[in-house]
Amino acid sequence: MTTDLSSDFVVIGSGICGSLVARELAMRGASVLILEAGPRLDRGRLVAAFRNSPRRSDWMSPYPAVAWAPHPIYQPEDNGYLVQAGPYPYPAEYIRAVGGTTWHWAAQAWRLVPNDMRIRSLYDVGVDWPMTYEELDPWYQRAEEIIGVAGAENTGSPRQKPFPMTPVAEPWSMRRFRERLAPEYAVVDNTVARNSRPYDGRPACCGNNSCQPICPINAQYTGGVAADAAEAAGAKLLPNTVVYHIEHDATGHIAAVHYFDPDKTSHRVTGKQFILAANGIESPKLLLLSASDKYPAGLANSSGMVGRNLMDHPSTSLTFYAEEELWLGRGPQSPSSINTLRDGAFRREHAPYRLDFTNINQVFAVTQSLIAEGVYGAEFEKQLRWRAARQCNVKNVLEVLPNPDNRIALSAQKDAMGIPKPEAHYSIGDYTRKGAEDSKPHFARIAELMGGTGLRYSAEGNFANNQHITGTLGMGSDPANSVADSYGRTHDHENLFICGTGLMPTSATMNSTLTAIALALRTADHLLPANASKSAEHAA
Amino acid sequence: MNASLRIGCLLCLLTASAAVRADTTADQVKRGEYLALASDCVACHTAPGGKPFAGGLAMATPIGAIISTNITPSKTHGIGNYSQQQFADALRRGIRVDGAHLYPAMPYTSYALMDDADIAALYAYFMHAVAAVDTSPAQTSLPFPFDIRASMAVWNLLYLDARPFIPDAGKSAQWNRGAYLVRGPAHCGDCHTPRNLLMAEDSSAELAGAQLGSWFAPNITSDANSGIGGWSDQDIVDYLRTGRAAGKAQAAGPMTEAIDRSLQFLRDADLKAMATYLRSVPARRDAGDDAPSYARGQAGDQLASNRGVPLPDDAQRMSGAQLYDAYCATCHQASGEGSFDARMPSLFHNTASGRARHDNLVMVILDGIHRGAEGRDVVMPGFGKELSDTQIAVLAAHVYQMYGNPHATISAEDVRQLRAGGPESHLVLLARLGFAGAIVLVILFVLWWRRRRRRRVR
Repeated sequence: MTTDLSSDFVVIGSGICGSLVARELAMRGASVLILEAGPRLDRGRLVAAFRNSPRRSDWMSPYPAVAWAPHPIYQPEDNGYLVQAGPYPYPAEYIRAVGGTTWHWAAQAWRLVPNDMRIRSLYDVGVDWPMTYEELDPWYQRAEEIIGVAGAENTGSPRQKPFPMTPVAEPWSMRRFRERLAPEYAVVDNTVARNSRPYDGRPACCGNNSCQPICPINAQYTGGVAADAAEAAGAKLLPNTVVYHIEHDATGHIAAVHYFDPDKTSHRVTGKQFILAANGIESPKLLLLSASDKYPAGLANSSGMVGRNLMDHPSTSLTFYAEEELWLGRGPQSPSSINTLRDGAFRREHAPYRLDFTNINQVFAVTQSLIAEGVYGAEFEKQLRWRAARQCNVKNVLEVLPNPDNRIALSAQKDAMGIPKPEAHYSIGDYTRKGAEDSKPHFARIAELMGGTGLRYSAEGNFANNQHITGTLGMGSDPANSVADSYGRTHDHENLFICGTGLMPTSATMNSTLTAIALALRTADHLLPANASKSAEHAA
Repeated sequence: MNASLRIGCLLCLLTASAAVRADTTADQVKRGEYLALASDCVACHTAPGGKPFAGGLAMATPIGAIISTNITPSKTHGIGNYSQQQFADALRRGIRVDGAHLYPAMPYTSYALMDDADIAALYAYFMHAVAAVDTSPAQTSLPFPFDIRASMAVWNLLYLDARPFIPDAGKSAQWNRGAYLVRGPAHCGDCHTPRNLLMAEDSSAELAGAQLGSWFAPNITSDANSGIGGWSDQDIVDYLRTGRAAGKAQAAGPMTEAIDRSLQFLRDADLKAMATYLRSVPARRDAGDDAPSYARGQAGDQLASNRGVPLPDDAQRMSGAQLYDAYCATCHQASGEGSFDARMPSLFHNTASGRARHDNLVMVILDGIHRGAEGRDVVMPGFGKELSDTQIAVLAAHVYQMYGNPHATISAEDVRQLRAGGPESHLVLLARLGFAGAIVLVILFVLWWRRRRRRRVR
């Protein structure tokens, strides 16, 4: 074992949250070390790998898992990394690499609605957040300015200052949805970390429609951009460093972290403050792995809540053929949605949701179904053209309530480094299922307004997963039932902080990344106020 | 125009004139502002993020960084105490108010062509319409012997023609206006005319192209192959206004700044006049230019060699076609044809790939392009961080072979040199040797003279 590194701040995980916290701290003059389990990625190679892949609809195909830091892979076959304990499958996808999972996202950068943070008080479900929307507003704004967010004003999320950018150009298909659904439904531009004009040295979206697996021109913000910015600000980033143990001293202070390099040589890194930002599955895994005599249930786990309250956004959907040619596939993959069902008194009874329209090119999906139907020759070409022009889809994005039984635990199975794999325990509760039922008449009405035919609802009881891993390290004001306070400081260890979507006590109806970034920036300000000098930071 | 608007305008004019001295008219200030734009004063005399005209921009030259000065009307730190004559002397003769010589980074050899009325208008503008800034940028400090500003007196004796522009009676008014703008205020030759050993413009090769650090200011003579002889007047006007001549060329590097800060603001008639003059500049053909640089290449791809083939583990071994597919094809398209609206240009029929010189193609790959006002700007990301010298050389060679000039050659060493700032200049060494040589000559002369005297005495 070697002891070779030390830093004021040690950040575990170089995803969008870890990198942006590191950037903030480094910009204020602190010494910052980022430990990233996965390798560095190169945009151009990802683009080439995607273009040349025979499995182009498999968005993970450009991101193979490395042996020393595996992540879940399901195609062409399940690599078995995320062990499924049931009863309902939780096939989460994420990327362990410099920059993390947002290399590969639709860049949805939503704020919550204010009532999302008070659902226990207002609707007698879930839990309240230890902060209000108004408190978080300035950090939402900062986050939006750093990552470059474009959006519409009328989504239900209030704001004090304008968006950095006006919405990205509306694709034809979305325009037709907006026009045909009005005035019954307001279809609005999604709030996205995607440039509608050149911003911060990155070009405007030109509609490649491959947001997932990779924006080929950096028009959408990614953790890769964040990691570059962190390094440019002076943070030191070490890829291929698989943290497997967090070490505490007799007082419960965190003293060091231990990592394996790909050859499984162990290294020890000391520091003053430690920031765990390894995502909603890997972060709780690491805390559970670090159990000791003093903390037999794992670190930061006196509440027993580490890994619990796993949430995501399950979806059911309706696919149909519109009356007119929409030609999905021009512009970004996910441009528009209906936001009027995100909040209301109905939240006492069933899950709220957002209704989301896909704009993903339908040629691949239509080709697959035509082949399955045995259509060939001239008829194939005719059908392909007709269906690809008209096939469209609307889905709900449903809230899941926190439930301690839904959790990430340590599996008895181990990965190639001998580290226990994460194990998902998951179920879809009645609250969410009722929300799905509630959305069905809306699906039908939307199809009707679009002159839809060939209606195909997703199979009864089948929920697609949206990879919005949330809630496994929930924050709260009561140390008895939460892991960290509103600044991400763990209740049990005063120099161990958590950044990421795991902190969110509820999942609401919106993609969780922007909220996690806003919380992370707030953590950075708490750790090292913006106007503090280097000397002030030593006193902290 | 309605009555209230007319009265409003009148009031504006009145207030404006009230603010200036009686002998300075609002028209004169306006004309001066236009000339300051045409002369692009702001580009050099403003530091990045600094106040306009307050100086502080460090300009890299082959002999070291020259730092621009504060030319706001500040009486303590700027040119507020300059008389119009002193202002004219600085602009046209390169002489400061204290009698010291300016370095010719200030294009006074071009501004020397400006007539008295234009100088007066510029003076009026700077004195009355520019906000005074009471700060001084750092001083320029050059290595020996250039730190001796008096050495510029000798240089001026050799290279400064201080006569204002003399119209050519045999040419049209439009040609004369164009010549005045191109050679005077717009100082095109400052970048595009090659310089001799002592950094003076070589007037026998006007606008024939010159190295500018890492970039190359291209040949813009009237030659059909090497220059712009094949461009229409409209092509030239479009280029100067927007940075793009459709199907021919687009601005990059230092030219983007000249367009963004200066040329785009010129009146149509002036841009047309400049085009007229440019098309009359004597043609200079560069060796090997057997076709117009904007007309080379054609659409094509090598996708068949890429699809389904795994990338090599070592990224340094990626082929040109693989690199193109990975880094370029998204915007410039699989066959190099660019986007439908040409915001992202075609790579064939493009001077960047059509010239034999590789400087600008490599620099665009390294640094990218950012031009145009915010909101309608054009961005090409630079790949200097992502791609190695070897990869850029392989990629550029692929672009030449597929879409551009088949005579062009490029090596990793070429890329390394451009990444490091361009070919090295030996000017400092030469000047020092020259200075030493001059001293030796003086000593020899003195010895010879004393011996002669001795002989005579005998």
